[in-house]
Amino acid sequence: MSFVPGTLLLAHHGTDGAKRAEAQAFALASPGRTRIVHLYVVPEFWAGMQGDDWLNNAWTRDAFAVHVERQLDAEATTEVDGLAARCLSRGFACEALIRFGEPAECLLAAAREVRPELVVIGPPRPKGVEGYRSRMDLEKLARGLAAPLLVAR
Amino acid sequence: MVYTHKSPALLVIGLAILLWGWLNQSGSLDGMQAWLHPGAYKEHKQAVDKHAADAKAAVDKAAAEGKPAPEAKPAKPSKFDDLKAGQTRLAWILGGIFAAVGVLVLLLPAKEGHLDYFVGVAPGMAFIVGIAVGVRWILDPMFANWGKAAAPTLGWDFAKIMNLNYVVLGIVIGMVIVNLLRIPAWAANGVRTARLFLKTGVVLLGTLYSAAELAQLGALSVVMIGIFVLGSVWLVLLAGPRMGASNSMTGVLSSGVGVCGVSAAVAASPVVNAKAVDIAFTLGTILLWGVLCMFTFPTIGQLLGMGPVQFGAWAGTGILNSAQVAGAALAFDPHGIETLKVAEIFNITRVLFLPIIVVWLAAWYVKREAGAQKVDLGKVLVAKFPVFVLGFLFMFLLSTLGLFAPPGHYQGKYFSSEQVKEDKLLKEKELAALQAALPKLAKAEESKAMQELIANRKLTSREQDHVLKGVAKAAKDDKALKDAIGAANKAAWHSSKIISAFRDWIAWLFAIGLTGLGMQITVASIKQAGGKPLIIGSVVGAIKAIGSLIVVLLFVKEFV
Repeated sequence: MSFVPGTLLLAHHGTDGAKRAEAQAFALASPGRTRIVHLYVVPEFWAGMQGDDWLNNAWTRDAFAVHVERQLDAEATTEVDGLAARCLSRGFACEALIRFGEPAECLLAAAREVRPELVVIGPPRPKGVEGYRSRMDLEKLARGLAAPLLVAR
Repeated sequence: MVYTHKSPALLVIGLAILLWGWLNQSGSLDGMQAWLHPGAYKEHKQAVDKHAADAKAAVDKAAAEGKPAPEAKPAKPSKFDDLKAGQTRLAWILGGIFAAVGVLVLLLPAKEGHLDYFVGVAPGMAFIVGIAVGVRWILDPMFANWGKAAAPTLGWDFAKIMNLNYVVLGIVIGMVIVNLLRIPAWAANGVRTARLFLKTGVVLLGTLYSAAELAQLGALSVVMIGIFVLGSVWLVLLAGPRMGASNSMTGVLSSGVGVCGVSAAVAASPVVNAKAVDIAFTLGTILLWGVLCMFTFPTIGQLLGMGPVQFGAWAGTGILNSAQVAGAALAFDPHGIETLKVAEIFNITRVLFLPIIVVWLAAWYVKREAGAQKVDLGKVLVAKFPVFVLGFLFMFLLSTLGLFAPPGHYQGKYFSSEQVKEDKLLKEKELAALQAALPKLAKAEESKAMQELIANRKLTSREQDHVLKGVAKAAKDDKALKDAIGAANKAAWHSSKIISAFRDWIAWLFAIGLTGLGMQITVASIKQAGGKPLIIGSVVGAIKAIGSLIVVLLFVKEFV
């Protein structure tokens, strides 16, 4: 008899690795039984992304901050809506959690909140592949998670 | 929202600074100050001993002549005394203000309003001011001593070559705090006021230029910045599409790499509708380059023997990020601000180019991107105009009108024969030191400058002053020669007390501002350097740095 999780926490932010995690999650989930909780993390490095700008006036800095927020919001909405639609088409219940912070800490906090039976994440991005430098701290997850963790290959 | 954190931190910082002032005044820190400033202390000790010996001799003489002992005259304050008095005065002012506001923070009810807004930033301001004070008063002389102490073993003065002075140390400590320790919550709001300190520093810099200096530096900076800013923007716009970068990525990168780094990228991002990934890659690349340049430029400048004008022009053109221009200029020349004066003119010119470049990029983006919204050019020009530059020009105007210094102060009037009094002319002993050094001079221009100084007993032109400054710098062990040239320089350059105070305050404002700015450079953002922006930015950044170095070395004379 195979294991079918009731609540599955899936960390997903649109990368190739996340897509593999999604495939694994769908393979393990069962329509009508599994609730997929999609965790989308906006990495905390964005808090320091105005860097050491000192020449601009407050108006320009605000315009930049609003622009960045809109861009991040648009990216998050695209990913959340996309996964929700794919879950719906397969008959899985899906809900989204959007969090800002260090990925592993956000995942641990989300796990404490939703109490999943399984956590699924993608593999670390291979070296040389473009993307944000914001890695999931696997050791922190291994020490902090109460639920089993599946790292998709 | 209530901004004020109920924390005793501000009061503690205030009391700590007051304690330093009190201990300094009472003489309890004399041992430590003597260790931190061995040169000044040695001179002080000699002056004190001489004063005591003179007083004893006067008493003995009076006794021998059967006269009453003469009244003892107080000794003239030494450099060491002035240094201690300056620290004490500033400690009383800063410590007093911080302690008073610190009490206010604890007593005020947590309530929204203007008072809360202004009081809320005070602890963070005190945090960066406290660090800058500690670095300038303790760490800076400490590293200088260590560098000198290690020089015989290492064969080089690591503190001097690596520019471990109060500016670099302040920035490094800021970066360490934000990346390893985290900025305390009570300080987070106030740390952002670093920008205010820097802009105020630039405004005050306006008092230090003569009209001729500003005109010449302005013209030089317009030419240099015109070539290298427009050139690098154009180069990125050319390379981006060819390397498959999106229009938005190319647009934001070209502004960042071309104009003034992070500030330009921040200004251009909304205009070219930059994606999040474009912004992350570009800002990461610029910050990475900025930090690297801030540490390497001053060392290269020292090794190449560059002077303030050459280095200021190079740093002001070649360093991608404007914050690091000020940092590198002060790192290169921390105890005078001549290099900063030059570099900031270049920075201001870059900033003035920014609205034009943003308009250019907006037009470029709209032309290439279907469905892109047109921008209101007039609105962009007004919104991006750096208002603080008006403050700089206003202070320059006041200074030119003679508000801070006697008229003619900047024109070098003390080089003319009428303006140097007899007692300021070089004495026989000093002329003898110059005569002794004359045969050892290798360059013809140095010999000529020295001969003229001997003949006139004073400096007669700024060019001559500049050449002889180089001679004094090279004369490591010839103290008599150094003193003679120093005396001639002192007679030619009169600085008003107000202007000297401005210089000191400018150095403080930049030190505090750059410490705070260091706290805004996160390793997490630098790590985002990547993708095509890293490749294109690195190539164009390197071309700009090397190209501007070659142009400066070939065409920019040290004297302006």
